[in-house]
Amino acid sequence: MRIGSYGLNLEKRLTLAGWEAAVISILAIVFALVLFSIIFILAGLNPLFAYKETFSYAFANPYGLPLTINRFIFLLLCTYAFIIPYRAGLWNIGMAGQLYAGALGAFAVLFAFGVKGFNTLDLSPGILITLMMIAAALSGAVLGAIAGFLKGKFNLNEIVVTMMLNFITFWLVSFMIKEGGPFMNPGGRGESFELPPSVYAPLIMDVPITILLALGVAALLYLMFAKTKIGYQIRAYGQNPAAAEYAGISTFKIPLLVFIMGGALAGLAGYHYFAAVPGVYKIARNYGYFGDLSFYGIICGLISQGNPLAAIPVALLFGGLSIGGRFVQGKLNMSFGVDYALLGVLMITLVAFQFFYRYKIVWVRTEEERLGEEMLDVAVHR
Amino acid sequence: MWLFIVRSLQASTIFTFAGLGELIDQRSGVLNVGIEGVMLFGATLGFITAQSTGSYALGFLVGIVTGGLLGLLHGFFSITLGVDQVVSGMGIWILGFGLTTYIGNPYTGPLGMERIPTILGLSPFFYVGIALVIVTWFVLSKTSLGLRIRSVGENPSVAEVSGISVTKTRYLCAITGGMLMGLSGAIYSLDYNPVWNYNFLMGWGFIALALVFFSMWNPFILLAGSLLFGILWQLSLNPQLVLPGVLSRYIWRTVPFIITIAVLLLMATKWFRTRWGAARPEALGTPYLKE
Repeated sequence: MRIGSYGLNLEKRLTLAGWEAAVISILAIVFALVLFSIIFILAGLNPLFAYKETFSYAFANPYGLPLTINRFIFLLLCTYAFIIPYRAGLWNIGMAGQLYAGALGAFAVLFAFGVKGFNTLDLSPGILITLMMIAAALSGAVLGAIAGFLKGKFNLNEIVVTMMLNFITFWLVSFMIKEGGPFMNPGGRGESFELPPSVYAPLIMDVPITILLALGVAALLYLMFAKTKIGYQIRAYGQNPAAAEYAGISTFKIPLLVFIMGGALAGLAGYHYFAAVPGVYKIARNYGYFGDLSFYGIICGLISQGNPLAAIPVALLFGGLSIGGRFVQGKLNMSFGVDYALLGVLMITLVAFQFFYRYKIVWVRTEEERLGEEMLDVAVHR
Repeated sequence: MWLFIVRSLQASTIFTFAGLGELIDQRSGVLNVGIEGVMLFGATLGFITAQSTGSYALGFLVGIVTGGLLGLLHGFFSITLGVDQVVSGMGIWILGFGLTTYIGNPYTGPLGMERIPTILGLSPFFYVGIALVIVTWFVLSKTSLGLRIRSVGENPSVAEVSGISVTKTRYLCAITGGMLMGLSGAIYSLDYNPVWNYNFLMGWGFIALALVFFSMWNPFILLAGSLLFGILWQLSLNPQLVLPGVLSRYIWRTVPFIITIAVLLLMATKWFRTRWGAARPEALGTPYLKE
């Protein structure tokens, strides 16, 4: 493309500095929000007003902010569940299934101790809560391990496998909580039994303790990828599995390991929403909604380019956007699914912006101009 | 029982169309994992068009055009921009899943039109599907166009040297494939189950993707796979027809997905690979960029 005596050229990036990636990511988010204003305009709203409402509810409202923080914890865990396999070049889109499994695991602990029938507990709540978290992480990890094992051992396409596992666990949850399933609420409303108040996850300034878990994982993952051998092996496998194998890295262990770690974190995300968020404390009838939300984790992971620390602000922003989007939808009488539409628009914008992570556009002087200058140069020097 | 067979065959039609679209795509080396998204778009926009104009023909047309446009978008991302094909496909799936939830919501409920007339008790699309399988097989294996498509999918740089435009061929396949996927979605929402509900496909597109892997890129095996999964799917919806009272209906719903994983596993075994080989297009999933 040419403008005057300058032209636009595409150049392949050889390296991508951290700040360049950050700028591209921010531009992608801004572009997506601009694109999304079309949806507000089509709904007869002023987009600036709608965004103001969205952000002020999500980040500056006494009712909205706690919801945003809880959503943030959930999204951050889902993002990490995506990022760890992603760094190994593998796609975990099974966060939904893994978090359902995590929720089932946590509730199974209570079920095993007879919570459903009567509210007297033999164990101290502290032990029970810890057991629930461990069970949630383990159940998620087992589901992840299936995909990782099949990938490592038989090279099965992990996208198809994790997606199939999503549907399998989705229906398993229905089986467990509906129509006489073991976890069914005695009231029979198609929900699970409710947690007794003694095993609610402890709150720190009204925020569930899972926030410490999520932030702790952030630090650990950062250290793992930056400093440890296993982090290096994961990255090496992600860049070139064949070369990694040649260098003695097991092509079976790495996929298995990253999916176990990812699955465990998604399982904790399930624990967080169904057993730690104030006001929920049960596997609700619309549990599928949380599975759908987990796909925000893919976008957070891609936008933060697999960087565990960069994922924190991104997850906070998207947590706020999805909460605020739901709120404006109700307040401004929009059709259901504003947060879903936002998910779609963000994702497709991000795909388009993938291009800029690989190429840059540079201004160059066109050939004639340069020739002219050279001649001038020559003339002057004579 | 007759009704069960009819419903199974009609379900298989949806797998056939979507799978054929993906098969054509993949034969040229383009992997589109976003089938479900394309189907959701075709189904939703086709449904809305048919309901508001009262014309089935327009509904199907919109389904096909929508699918074609999404195929074009996937082509633009993965062929022209050289974006990772999985990233682009996931993008199209999530776009479809997210946006159709919002767009379609006001239309939640039944279509409310007279059902499409049947031929010998079956939807006309069943016969069209079989014809398309034959045509696709013929074009892919007996014509010069098919040779072009296959060579682009096997070795794009050699194809380019021998005078075939890789870009054009891949775009052609991405768009044709998208059209078939969009049509498949429209068949679902206008003919098979004319009721709109949020994210109603619940895995049809992903099973179609797996079916293409099962088919070893052969349209006839794809047809057989579609029939099998059409029956399985109906069985999972109505287990009482065959085994009344055994297991919860929710457990039955997991069966098609478990079998999908089991078949993939069987195909990955050494025994299967040495016995049957695999015709996987060599260049599948790798963008071709002229340096």
